[in-house]
Amino acid sequence: MTLYFGDILPYLPVMLEALWVSIYVTLISFAAGGVLGIFIYLAKASRFRSLKLISNGYIEVIRNTPLLVQLYLIYFGLGSIGINFNPLWSVLIGMTLNNSAYTAEIFRAGISAVPKGLREAGTALGMPFHQTFRYVILKPGIRNVLPALTNQFIVLFLFSSIGSVIALGELTSTLQNLNSQTLRTLEIFSVGALLYFLTSAAIAVASRITERLAFRW
Amino acid sequence: MDFIEYLPPLLRGAGLTLVICIAAGVLGSLIGVVLGTAKASPNWIARFVASIYINFIRGVPILIILLFTYFALPLLLPALTFSRGFTAVVGLSVYAGAYMAEIVRGGIQAVPKGQSEAAEALGMHYFARLRFVIFPQAMKIAVPPGIGFLIALVKASSLVSVIGFVDLTRAGRIVTTLNQEPLLTFLIVGALYFVISYPISLLGTWYERKLA
Repeated sequence: MTLYFGDILPYLPVMLEALWVSIYVTLISFAAGGVLGIFIYLAKASRFRSLKLISNGYIEVIRNTPLLVQLYLIYFGLGSIGINFNPLWSVLIGMTLNNSAYTAEIFRAGISAVPKGLREAGTALGMPFHQTFRYVILKPGIRNVLPALTNQFIVLFLFSSIGSVIALGELTSTLQNLNSQTLRTLEIFSVGALLYFLTSAAIAVASRITERLAFRW
Repeated sequence: MDFIEYLPPLLRGAGLTLVICIAAGVLGSLIGVVLGTAKASPNWIARFVASIYINFIRGVPILIILLFTYFALPLLLPALTFSRGFTAVVGLSVYAGAYMAEIVRGGIQAVPKGQSEAAEALGMHYFARLRFVIFPQAMKIAVPPGIGFLIALVKASSLVSVIGFVDLTRAGRIVTTLNQEPLLTFLIVGALYFVISYPISLLGTWYERKLA
């Protein structure tokens, strides 16, 4: 077995294009899931028992079942009762719902890690609630959750590879197609793994720089 | 639709999911303890090698690891041609090893430095220090996140269905081709995953409460 990358070189642009699909699917579902996650967190933190129960049930069900099964439910399951989504929408919906449950838990952990004394100090200084919330709870809260959110973003990016099972044209499905076209299995999957690794490393570095710049105090 | 007749294959799949998860959980933990210790060690070569493994595996999807193990590894070395079940365990163990290593490293580094220094002052050798002073404390810290990762492992194991191993997810796919009822089938598949993973998460909560 000799390695020969010449055969797959012409396909590099195709791979990069597919990598971009992976990235934007991740970006959209991270953003949408983040917003949904805030609402789920608020529901869980609210005083209403029923809201608490529902949001908690949602979080536990999503976090204890595989994304792949959730995707099958959306793509095949809903499809069988007449609610059809194409692969792209199925993946977007699946990843958004999945991400929202994890993000809600990240927010909960981050906000509850803000010491109670801080909030009390804010009130003692005569700050109205919205100011206390914004300057005293939210900002340190965001700083607390940023590393976890980055981690979640990378995990989500890696799991976007699941789109390949329903032939979303992202990186993993493209790698599988190229593999059957060129039969350069070892080279294709090595380069593919490298692309995934470099992207997630870049995300990690970018997040660390943001953290340094945004929270210098 | 008489669903009872499709339940046995799903339960069999759930059993196989459980088996590969236990095997990969044990092997992954072993890899994790070795590499996590290496990453927290004073030896820079050990740290370097462990870092490369941990960072690379954590930056690649489990699906790619499984596809690579199944399709590419046999081309590299014919002796590395595995059955589907074995590939599943190897791929998941390699994957789990990297995450477990980070958890073990975190546990080791959370043990106050004075502990190691005190043991050194008592004349204890490096490995004796690890064995009798650091590990007992570090493992206590590492268990809750380790249990958390086991849940992630159960869910990631659903991807072995892609290389054709008949785990719970694959069994679900096969059953849907027979009964043409994907909604009901995958709801049951999801419920079975929940039955496997929720007790693990309860175990984690219980352990954390016991520590506190």
